[in-house]
Amino acid sequence: MYRLRKILNRAVYALVIVFVVSIILIPIYWMINTSLKTPREVIDPIPSFFPRTPTLANYKAVFKSGLWKNFSNSVIVAVSATLASIILAFLSSYALARYRFPFHLNRLFLIWVLVVRILPPIVLAVPLFTIFNRIGLINTLGGLIVAFQIYTLPYSIWIIYGFLKTLPKEYEEAARIDGASPLRVLVSIVAPLVRSGIIATSIFALILAWNEFLFALLFVRSPRLLTLPVVIARYIGEYTTQWGELMAIGLFASLPILIFSNVVYKKQTEGFSMSLK
Amino acid sequence: MRNRERAHYNSFFYLIFAPALLVTLFLTAYPMATIFYDSFFRYSLVSNTRTFVGFQNFSRILREELFQRSLVNTLVFTLVASITEVVLGTALAFLFKREFRGKRVASLIVIFPMIISTMVICAVWQTFYHYEIGIFNYILRGMNLSPVGWLTDQRVALFSIILVDIWQWTPFAFLIIQAGMGSIPAEIWEAAQIDGARGGQIAMKITLPILRSQILMVLMLRTLDTFRLFDKVYALTGGGPANATQTLSFFIYREGFKFFNFGRASAASVITLFGVAFMALFYVRSLLGEED
Repeated sequence: MYRLRKILNRAVYALVIVFVVSIILIPIYWMINTSLKTPREVIDPIPSFFPRTPTLANYKAVFKSGLWKNFSNSVIVAVSATLASIILAFLSSYALARYRFPFHLNRLFLIWVLVVRILPPIVLAVPLFTIFNRIGLINTLGGLIVAFQIYTLPYSIWIIYGFLKTLPKEYEEAARIDGASPLRVLVSIVAPLVRSGIIATSIFALILAWNEFLFALLFVRSPRLLTLPVVIARYIGEYTTQWGELMAIGLFASLPILIFSNVVYKKQTEGFSMSLK
Repeated sequence: MRNRERAHYNSFFYLIFAPALLVTLFLTAYPMATIFYDSFFRYSLVSNTRTFVGFQNFSRILREELFQRSLVNTLVFTLVASITEVVLGTALAFLFKREFRGKRVASLIVIFPMIISTMVICAVWQTFYHYEIGIFNYILRGMNLSPVGWLTDQRVALFSIILVDIWQWTPFAFLIIQAGMGSIPAEIWEAAQIDGARGGQIAMKITLPILRSQILMVLMLRTLDTFRLFDKVYALTGGGPANATQTLSFFIYREGFKFFNFGRASAASVITLFGVAFMALFYVRSLLGEED
């Protein structure tokens, strides 16, 4: 009796886990499934759970229409925004962790950075549009790289600051006594010590920038400058049932990110949780 | 000599701090000051004129039905989505507390939704929600029920968007609460078991109270994030049907980027900022309150 209950218990447990995992996987599976269907099969009111005549036509079509350009826009913007944030965050966090600025600037700045994290970005978009327009940053990838700092910089500062604060000062002091310049200490001593933190932060910032939608939508108009999320949004609006192509783009926009899920899982549970959008 | 070296050292810190400070001020402080200033003007990009009107923008917006609708929708979305996500996330964390085969793979899959682009997610759900060829209505028809206008029925559309948000962000609540559980020492559970506490009792009386700050933290992050709802509305409904999914962010977007009424957009932004500030203060107080 006891054993039977135990087996039953385990079976129910396994079922619940399978159920949860399927809820997550079904939409992702559906994306792959639909991307391999013919346009005719896509609009069949009886949805098929496997493509009846699998085809790569959707993938060919979206690449012919210039998706590589949008893909490279996304790469350029996400990588540059991340690099800029990491450099700015590393430098400023080091200063905040090792030097007391007057007027409680350290604490004020860190609080302000948190405030930025909770602001609805649309609130900043209206005035920034005017400013960016004046200095010629509208409709440029450079403008997006700057605007994305709103998300990636506060995030990077908080995480890297957390790492630097716990770093013992002895190594730096030893190097300074040996006559190393402050910059040298920063580059050759401090940076290698927080390398793993910087790599993890970069990945999170990369994901944030890769998926960013609002500023990418509002600050860029030319089709050849669009990033992938905006291309997808336009597709949803304009070609209502070109789902095969839409899903092909969607998969293409997701794959580079899903590779990082392992890192996200590990680092998130290590207390990275705070700042991911 | 020593003083000079000291000064040199100090200026180094100012030098490496300045770029991040300037970028942050340029991207946030300056725009926010602009919003507060512009909210007192009738200021349109089309006519490019600026007339001081005092609090007129505020008093008009607050009386508009569309704005009130946006505010209510935003509050409903924020409350329903964030509370559901935290409850489901906590349940998932309890579910994943036990060891089982394939736990690692399952955990990895569970976080997929939060790292995929919201637009990709909306694209997939758009196909699910389609009235004629979507999978949801296919299932309903199969059960002999009448199909639902998931994104076209005024009473349903907002909840359809909420469902997408729940699918996307429950994993986030799960991750943080799971991390919190991992930090509870095993002795506490052992002690409870020795004292004869049952599974349910342990969860309610021991684990949940210890997790209080984690849960509050997730709830805070989710309410503040759901409060800015824009992407999903843009992709799934465009604010319709009949303004049933208008939100504050969407209202600001329309005023600013469709009608170029920067004065009104700024006033709506200021009101939204007060909302955010109010929520943030509430959470900070309850998070700090428990430490006393």
